[in-house]
Amino acid sequence: MTYTRRTFIKTGVLAAGGMFIVVELPAALSSKTAVAFEPNAYISITPDNVIRLWLTRSEMGQGVRTALPMMLAEELEVDLSQVRFEQATPGGRFKGIRLRTSGSGSTVGTYERLRKAGATAREMLIAAAAEQWDVLPSDCRAEKGSVLHVPTNRHITYGELAMAASKQKVPENPPLKEAKHFRIIGTPTRRTDGPSIVNGQAIYGIDVKVPGMLYAVMERCPCIGGKLVKIDATEALSMPGVRHVVPVKSGIATGVAVVGDHTWAAMKGRERLRIEWDPGANQNFDSGHFLKQMHDQLAKEPGGYFVREDGDAKKALAGATKKIEATYEFPFQAHAPLETMNCVANVRPGSCEIWAPTQCPEVAQIETAKMLGLPEDAVKIHVTLLGGGFGRRLFADYVPEAVEVSRAIGKPLQMLWTRSDDMRYGFFHPCDVQHIAGGLDANGQPIAWAQRSIGSDLSMFGFPTEEQKQNPRHYFNDGLPWGSFDNPYNFPNLKADYIPLNSPVPTGPWRAVFYPPTVFARESFLDEMAHAAGADPLEFRLNLLAPGNVLNVGDQKIDRNRLIRVLQVAAEKSGWKGPIAQDADRLWGRGLACNVYSEDCFIAQVADVSVGRKSNDLRVHRIVCAVDCGIVINPEGLEGQAESGITWGLSATLHGGIDFENGRAVQTSFTDFEVLRVNESPVIETHIVPSHHAPGGFGETAVPPVAPAVANAVFAATGKRVRRLPITPESLMASS
Amino acid sequence: MSVFTLIVNGKQHLLDADSEMPLLWALRDLLSLTGTKYGCGMGICGACTVHDDGEPVRSCQVPLSATKGKHYVTIEGLSASGEHPCQKAWIAEDVSQCGYCQAGMIMQAAALLRRKPKPSDEDIDADLADHVCRCGTYQRLRRAVHRASAEVLKT
Repeated sequence: MTYTRRTFIKTGVLAAGGMFIVVELPAALSSKTAVAFEPNAYISITPDNVIRLWLTRSEMGQGVRTALPMMLAEELEVDLSQVRFEQATPGGRFKGIRLRTSGSGSTVGTYERLRKAGATAREMLIAAAAEQWDVLPSDCRAEKGSVLHVPTNRHITYGELAMAASKQKVPENPPLKEAKHFRIIGTPTRRTDGPSIVNGQAIYGIDVKVPGMLYAVMERCPCIGGKLVKIDATEALSMPGVRHVVPVKSGIATGVAVVGDHTWAAMKGRERLRIEWDPGANQNFDSGHFLKQMHDQLAKEPGGYFVREDGDAKKALAGATKKIEATYEFPFQAHAPLETMNCVANVRPGSCEIWAPTQCPEVAQIETAKMLGLPEDAVKIHVTLLGGGFGRRLFADYVPEAVEVSRAIGKPLQMLWTRSDDMRYGFFHPCDVQHIAGGLDANGQPIAWAQRSIGSDLSMFGFPTEEQKQNPRHYFNDGLPWGSFDNPYNFPNLKADYIPLNSPVPTGPWRAVFYPPTVFARESFLDEMAHAAGADPLEFRLNLLAPGNVLNVGDQKIDRNRLIRVLQVAAEKSGWKGPIAQDADRLWGRGLACNVYSEDCFIAQVADVSVGRKSNDLRVHRIVCAVDCGIVINPEGLEGQAESGITWGLSATLHGGIDFENGRAVQTSFTDFEVLRVNESPVIETHIVPSHHAPGGFGETAVPPVAPAVANAVFAATGKRVRRLPITPESLMASS
Repeated sequence: MSVFTLIVNGKQHLLDADSEMPLLWALRDLLSLTGTKYGCGMGICGACTVHDDGEPVRSCQVPLSATKGKHYVTIEGLSASGEHPCQKAWIAEDVSQCGYCQAGMIMQAAALLRRKPKPSDEDIDADLADHVCRCGTYQRLRRAVHRASAEVLKT
């Protein structure tokens, strides 16, 4: 099976594993005895007037614990302050309902469903009230958790109606509210669980405590794909508080777990393990050498897989008055969420209970059941709050590790990854090389574009398929690589191809999945073409998006008008054509970039930067961001995600990157994998372009344009073109 | 193993533990005060920040052997009602995203405001630059510190 971009985002199918977990709230347990009105999996109303809404996505900072209930509450006609929240758990009432959180799809994937769920309950409550009062349902309306009979001004609470409502016929197509009547959707709303976070009461995976629980850390084979030969655990086991030493095979790397009375004992024991490893076949893998191999693919003709061809780019390039080309590099990246990977597992005879911060609870359940030879229903998964996800927690590799050790010792335990474990082992964003050639005609008009993407490991998407391997030059409608395939610009001749070149490094989706390298190259090169044509980079783009028509590419429809609009708004709000500061010590410049995330989210960013004339240090002062992602559920949350995505993109632009030497990751912590800190954080302005389109997802959208906007601004400031991330004083010094 | 009297949030705890055990793990695993977070174990991310007699310290860098006679305060003890000016400002400015780093940020900011009730943006940047927020809540963080400062100055 091939997993297209659409299946990834909209249905969440993925070959590799991950999982979700539920925080069990005492309230939920006590209500089990009561009979409730539960017209669907998402809503429960008990006669004591407790209204519960279930969260079917993982909260990892993107705001689903706020946005999802807003959609339900809007149609159910309750205030958020009247409801309690429960985290969904795989199986049971959620069998067949997606709990996986990925591809900025939480809003996109639930908007219709949650509204319909809310409206269904509302209509049944109204019908129950009308029956009880013996009045017309049309004379009744729902508001703030009650049904009102308008002519007589009588009220009855949802709780009082719960039992009668559950006897009503479930309407197939309950009426949904018109957007103009929304009172919750579109209202800036603070996160529902804010107080528990600032009080230190919120429970992340690492905070889970189970009676009798032990604590484990694990030494993994330093080399990718290496094996365990021999353990001498004598000294480790002699450490106070150390209870067990257990070899572990089920995780991302083979290893040896040390289990103790507390984390510290386990860590001290780990230091005293004597292990002999077989480093295996990848012990000489070097990312610098791998990068060279990717460059070697550039001249390969014919190239790899044909992913898009409009017109004849090869011919047009050959006939162009001016032809330019450039190559861009994007390094391996770590996710480095601040909460490292962890999992609590309690394997008992015939059952297993797991608590984990995960983006994909279904897979964790399936994989654990398979591992233990249990039916899926015997594996209970609790999704905790996630201390960041960013795609890393789409993989459940840290769950089986804990399960394996708990099974071996017959006790509940927490497996914790240290920061260095988390940095060195994981599913990294693939290292990537992009080459683009562009052609201009005698009038400076862009006539050709050819983008070649090398190295992205897209195998998790099932790419290439067997059919594609047989016939690589056939045009395939896969939507990959994102950002190149769905190039929104109107080039009469446009070619996109892709040459897969895999390394031993495990890779996976990073924030914004595959857009960051392709968009860094695409938006940087547009800037290069604009300068070659003597055109303003904004006007050059607008010209290439004219006449604002809809681009049909694969299964996507990209409305160029919406992209034009965000470009115009970003330009206007940033003073694109206005003056920029200058001073004696620093060169200042302004740069622009834009992108369309998955056809339904449009973004443009303008960066103001300065570069030290002598020091070559780069500072990003301001980023102005314009967004059209359709109807906005929570503007407060959207602004936060803009700030978040931009900060994420800036970490990669100014600092990030993982190198591999001798088959192992070089970087081990925030000392050598630096991330943006508050003192480097620019002013970020977000402007929402009002839109009546269906909501798009915004958890990742702001990431891809950051690097090219900054690199283009660096060019404007210094005349130096940086084509490799991160942009450091050394790289600026070396650039001409 | 040695016996320690650890004073946290005004309460005395008798612990029999390794003298090298960092305060962080004593708080989290022995006292179940999990509001203080593990982020790096090297004192470079700020997630584990607590107060030592009002001063911010990285609890992952303080061995139990150094805790004698000290009065520690964690996020759970910052205020009885959860209404410290920073906590209120954090909610008002909707700072938290994943929220994992925020306890450390709040403890650092609360100490900053005690020392300097009206910090400038530069003061905030300098004081909080040792903290990592992977979600990028920095802009709101600055706003929240200013908001908390306004309340501190009022009272």
